[in-house]
Amino acid sequence: MVNLAWKNLLYDKLRFAITVIGVAFAVTLVFLQVGLFMGLLDNASVTIRHLKADLWVTSKNTPNIDFAHTFPETYVQRVRSVPGVERADNLIVWFMTLVLPSGSQEGTLMYALEDFTRWGLPWNVESGNLGDLKRGRYFFLDRSAEKRFGKFSVGEYREIAHRRMKIIGSSREALSFSTTPILFMNYRQAQETNPAELAGNTTYILIQLAPGADPEAVKREIRRRLPYNDVYTKDEWAFQSRNYWIESTGLGLNLGMTVLLGCLVGVLIVAQTLYTSTMEHLKEFGTVKAIGGGNWHIYGILGQQATIAAIVGYLVGAAQTWALSPLLAKISLRLILPPGFAATVFVGTIALCLGAAMISFKKVASIDPALVFRT
Amino acid sequence: MSVLEARQVTKEFREGREAVPVLHGVSLSVEPGEIVALEGPSGSGKTTLLSILGCILTPTSGRVTLAGEEVDPRRPDRLPALRRRAIGFVFQQFNLFPALDATENVEYALNLKGFAGRAAKREAERLIEAVGLAERKNFLPRDLSGGQKQRIAIARALAGDPPVLLADEPTANLDSAVGAQVLEMFRDAAKSGNRALLIVTHDPKVRMIVDRVLSIRDGRILENA
Repeated sequence: MVNLAWKNLLYDKLRFAITVIGVAFAVTLVFLQVGLFMGLLDNASVTIRHLKADLWVTSKNTPNIDFAHTFPETYVQRVRSVPGVERADNLIVWFMTLVLPSGSQEGTLMYALEDFTRWGLPWNVESGNLGDLKRGRYFFLDRSAEKRFGKFSVGEYREIAHRRMKIIGSSREALSFSTTPILFMNYRQAQETNPAELAGNTTYILIQLAPGADPEAVKREIRRRLPYNDVYTKDEWAFQSRNYWIESTGLGLNLGMTVLLGCLVGVLIVAQTLYTSTMEHLKEFGTVKAIGGGNWHIYGILGQQATIAAIVGYLVGAAQTWALSPLLAKISLRLILPPGFAATVFVGTIALCLGAAMISFKKVASIDPALVFRT
Repeated sequence: MSVLEARQVTKEFREGREAVPVLHGVSLSVEPGEIVALEGPSGSGKTTLLSILGCILTPTSGRVTLAGEEVDPRRPDRLPALRRRAIGFVFQQFNLFPALDATENVEYALNLKGFAGRAAKREAERLIEAVGLAERKNFLPRDLSGGQKQRIAIARALAGDPPVLLADEPTANLDSAVGAQVLEMFRDAAKSGNRALLIVTHDPKVRMIVDRVLSIRDGRILENA
């Protein structure tokens, strides 16, 4: 079979290139915007995702993991006695001030546990032994802190809450949404650095469920025993921590507008080039009708052209995004594009391009086949 | 028995609220193997008549019968199928698809008429050979002369072996020598294929190959010359 749609596209290469560039631009824009957004958003819950906790107990109405409030650490005893709870430990997440060698002060987000290894935090240890944290005034610092704090090495000292403390290890990939660098300290040590607020208090209780335990039933029982706290599953807490930033910063709206704009630009370019192409090929389409083709033959040609432009444009856009990814990583911007999202964009691109072709369909339907006799 | 017949065909176009009559009760018939020329000045209604005979337009009143089938003006959805089955068009401007080479232009018409795959390709090549362009079968229209383009257009019109050929000023864009060759080709297509051929033309040379000349003025067939 002769594929007139494909032949026409290849015959007018410049127009095809413009159409593909339009689609690729829109796809790249959507991928970059959403990918960067998801990368950024992932920072808001990356520690929740990696911590081996099935349930989280927080103080009432804690909006996200960074903005923790204290409650008595003895509550953990009540949790440990709940049927279905295999293990429960206190976790402190708290903002602290760290003094750099230059004398300047910077904020840091401290994660404090009795036993980091058991809870899988930090999950990517670059150097040092987590077991040594309980031996004194020591802490681990995530390598991402270098962006704010400057270069650091294991063995150096920093001042935290007027105490000279030693960096005994480093990690990677532990990030916060607000870009505040994360450090890891022993639980008791953390309380000693800020006794006014943290002595006898914690900010979260981490829970591992016994095999076969019903999370909802355990949650219900914990809620009954701790009526002034909230209890979340891992996914719920991660969702809430991410959602806080979407809603409170208007990031979601901003992203939606940009994605919409990208789609609009893509649709306009495809619609415009297809329509111009249709107008220029009007006599050819008239000929198709005259030699026995119906409107559906021509819709098929236009639909095929839109689909080809969508597929090629998508592939170019995806390749561009993939090529940009390492460059973005160099400036600490992470791009997260789950396969499901990439598939959605693929289907969306085809749907939008076909939608753009509809404008041409209307024109084609009104072609007078007698125009083939006009000179 | 005629293969193409029009009886008391009228056609009106609307311009705003006004009905503008273009054809006034035109009747004609063409037998298989017969070549008929339709002559007339601009605005006489010959293109409108050709469009109606070619099932591109429907008449306001009157009857058109094509290859034994009466055209039903209330069912315009059936016209494409009738065009595919019964008619081959040749246009003044050739109207070849610029993105398709000579063979593909013919093959595409065959595809529309239900031929597919290798059979369509072979038939297209046979038709291209029949019009003497075998060595240019892979050329795009832009690389062919006017006469060659018109020969491809004739090959395309013959695709699917339609019983009726309709040609609109087929020699208007060709020089005399090439025009004469193309007319010979038309004669051969009509006579050897026993096809009815109606040629709308201003070109007096067309009279050399036709069996009959019809003259149209102001939407009326005037005489049989």
